[in-house]
Amino acid sequence: MRRATHARSNRRRFLLATGAAVAGVAPAGCVGENVDDDDAVDEGTDAEAGGEEGAGAVAEAEPLGEPLGSEPISWDDLGDLEGHLSIYSGRTPDQIDPVFEAIEDEYDGLTLNRNFADNDVQVNQIIEEGEATPADLMYSQDPGALGALEGAGTLQALPSDVVEVVPESFRHPDGTWTGVTGRTRSVMFNAERLAEETEFESGDDLPTDIQEYATDERLQGIISTRPNSGSFRAFIQAMVELEDEETTREWVRGMMEDQEAQLFSGGTDQAEAINRGGDDDPIVALGNSYYAARILNEDPDAPISVTFTENDAGCLFSVAGVGVMNQVEDPELLAEFVRHLFSIEAQELMMDANGEYPVIEGIDYVGELPNLDEINPPEFDISQFDMELQEAQALLDDEGMVV
Amino acid sequence: MKPVTTYLDASERFESVRGRIGGTDRSAFALAALSAVVAFLVVSPMFWLLWRAGTVPPTEAYDLLVSSRTALITANSLALTAAVTLCSILIGVPLAVLTTRTDLPYPRLFTVVAALPLVIPSYIGAIAFVSMFGSGGEIDTLFGTTIPRVDGLRGAVFVITLYTYPYVFLTTRAALLSMDSSLVDAARTLDASRIEAFRRVTLPQIRPGIAAGALLAALYAISDFGTPAFMRATVFTSTIYWEFGGFNVEYAALLALQLVAIVAVILVIEAGIGRDEDASGGTGRGAEINLGHWKWPSMGAVLSIGVLTLVVPLVIFTSWLIRSVGDPIPSLEFQPGFALNSVYLALLAAFVACLFALPVAYYSGRTNSLLSRVLERATYVGFAVPGVVIGLALVFLGTRTLPSLYRQGVWLLVFAYVVRFLPQAVGTVRSSVLQIDEGVIEAARTLDAGPLDTFRRVTLPLIMPGVIAGGVLVFLTTMKELPMTLMLQPIGMDTLVIVIWNAQNALAYRYAALPAFILIVVSGLTMVVLLRQEGYDIT
Repeated sequence: MRRATHARSNRRRFLLATGAAVAGVAPAGCVGENVDDDDAVDEGTDAEAGGEEGAGAVAEAEPLGEPLGSEPISWDDLGDLEGHLSIYSGRTPDQIDPVFEAIEDEYDGLTLNRNFADNDVQVNQIIEEGEATPADLMYSQDPGALGALEGAGTLQALPSDVVEVVPESFRHPDGTWTGVTGRTRSVMFNAERLAEETEFESGDDLPTDIQEYATDERLQGIISTRPNSGSFRAFIQAMVELEDEETTREWVRGMMEDQEAQLFSGGTDQAEAINRGGDDDPIVALGNSYYAARILNEDPDAPISVTFTENDAGCLFSVAGVGVMNQVEDPELLAEFVRHLFSIEAQELMMDANGEYPVIEGIDYVGELPNLDEINPPEFDISQFDMELQEAQALLDDEGMVV
Repeated sequence: MKPVTTYLDASERFESVRGRIGGTDRSAFALAALSAVVAFLVVSPMFWLLWRAGTVPPTEAYDLLVSSRTALITANSLALTAAVTLCSILIGVPLAVLTTRTDLPYPRLFTVVAALPLVIPSYIGAIAFVSMFGSGGEIDTLFGTTIPRVDGLRGAVFVITLYTYPYVFLTTRAALLSMDSSLVDAARTLDASRIEAFRRVTLPQIRPGIAAGALLAALYAISDFGTPAFMRATVFTSTIYWEFGGFNVEYAALLALQLVAIVAVILVIEAGIGRDEDASGGTGRGAEINLGHWKWPSMGAVLSIGVLTLVVPLVIFTSWLIRSVGDPIPSLEFQPGFALNSVYLALLAAFVACLFALPVAYYSGRTNSLLSRVLERATYVGFAVPGVVIGLALVFLGTRTLPSLYRQGVWLLVFAYVVRFLPQAVGTVRSSVLQIDEGVIEAARTLDAGPLDTFRRVTLPLIMPGVIAGGVLVFLTTMKELPMTLMLQPIGMDTLVIVIWNAQNALAYRYAALPAFILIVVSGLTMVVLLRQEGYDIT
């Protein structure tokens, strides 16, 4: 693999700085073991078919090579990709472009038109574009955005072999979108300041229960979060699911009133503030770990570091994933492209570039982030929150956790 | 025969005069119609806002509009806007006087330096400023000294002012160049002090220019999202983005409309301040002010603003370039095409904006009717609405009107730039039009020049400084525009600012160093070329 050496050194730095134990080979899919049988999938494809011209076409497209199966396969065994695809990506180029590049390098006749913008911008734009959207595929940072697209009726069902290999908890029940890789939410902190300025010796002393982050007086005034991301809203939805709404409201209230949490409106701003470590900057932050990974990639000696809570919403396992638009010119190409994202090569590239976990069975996790068993994220279906995304937003509005 | 000839002669002349008057009527009507078309085009995205906002249930709309949060963000936005406007005037006007009226050395260089902050997106400036001077920043690390914390509303005012005062600088400068400065000398010979001469002679003449720039600074401040967000100041745009991020576009549209309503009030107030002073006069060149001992402090002042706004971001990005040991990120690697795309789009936007601005500015500058003023004010509305909202409106309108051309070519994107940035050209052109001496135009008309001919040969050269200033403003702001460019570019047509944004997203600022440097150099060079069009007026 072309970028394997770089990526390996990335992970090593990440690990050294986080001080996390060297995890062995973590079996993928240790969360959400409930790999579904095939029934639901077929229902899904039927539900989406009919009506719109081209709808259901991707689900029905014959594989151009081998279909995906219980054993992960190399993209050499998949069909050739030829033609043009337009991808709207809410993931950033550093996260996902290496995969697009590699796939494009693999096939002479393939052009991937990439359009990068913020995740929520892409979703709103696709909805406004309606049928005229030039996008064939949306690559989203989080499931909530794909859910919003699905709700607006812009997505069509994915091929059944794709839907079958992804555990049910990481995709839409009807197969209109699917997670491709996953990561957990994390606790970032400035290791130097934590040791010098707080009563915590090291990241190991930080609470492993997310509830304590809203009550532990030692975190008062030095904790922050970013409430306007899809990932944070999913975290709120998950807490409502795992605990209940009142506990979640109390958590938010505790963060706002007792802890006086600093609120950021950008994930990069937050991670930078932690890392910069100015007098008024926060020392501990709740957010996605890839922000810390990016800083450590640039400067391995940076003081930012990462730890995780255990088996609660604070270490929610969530996915980045894809959905295919209703109207596409070449359904076979789209279907085959999505298959490529689940090939061994693409999954490994994504582990390399983002420090992410695979969502499908049988792909060995070769990274050096803590083992998912160790973090033990809560097990439930991220595609089926009881609480609507809008309600989560309303809850935050009510409790004043807005930026 | 003779009487007949006389008769014919007289009747011919009569016809010719009538024709001319009729022609004037016709051209006035054509001008009004053209202005109306331009105003309609740039206001068209507002129809989408109205339609979208209309889908919010009335009771919820009412609750949202009268909520305490809305009151708070309105107050914050107004405070931010007022403070930025005032500070921009305090920096921009003296700089304009310095570079046009005094014997400051290298006036062209300093003009470019003083105008260039406009090409740096203010949130990038904010990030760089905090990384440099803030607690935990570079200076703090090296010398252990730090400045008071820059954040919240005050921080936003500080940073936005640093990057928006050029609006006032450029419009005031254009007004100063167009005015007859020999009047100042006349005042001086009548024993008026410098200050008094400025207050009583210069100020009334350049007031429309200052007002035009101040209004632009105000509208930029009220529609900016990035800097208040970085400074964690809660303002109107924060809430619009909050709803946008929750995929509640109809609520975002409703809030944007409320913002438009607030801005409408500002526009009416400003219409009073910048009211049609007849600032007309000749174009005589008065004596320069001799700076004397103030020469060095003046140069120092301009340079330190340049350092703060331009050099600090470059130094911060470059320090990352040197220190970073990160793996290469191929997708962020610089390509010359980015610079070409930026310049191409910005030049196109500047050209089209000037073209659109001419009828509106000329009509409202020459005709002081309610209609002309309403049409002129209407062009400002787009500038007050955050780019992401205008972008979304044009996504909708573009896909519904010309779906097959959507994101094919740059037409929709250039139109988006014009919707947002047209007032920058309208304001400067209009204040130049106000300065035209009526007599000159009448003279041309009595010499039998047609309306178009008069415009081309007399008016246009007179208002050229305003047109150039407008073009420069639109050029510079287009260079840094991000949200609409991301939404409406032909897919893959990346610009310098898109790369800087990607680098910032990846927390790999080393990749921002080169594009930022090129952004500044290319914009600076283009400005020099554009400013040359002002001819002898420049030095």
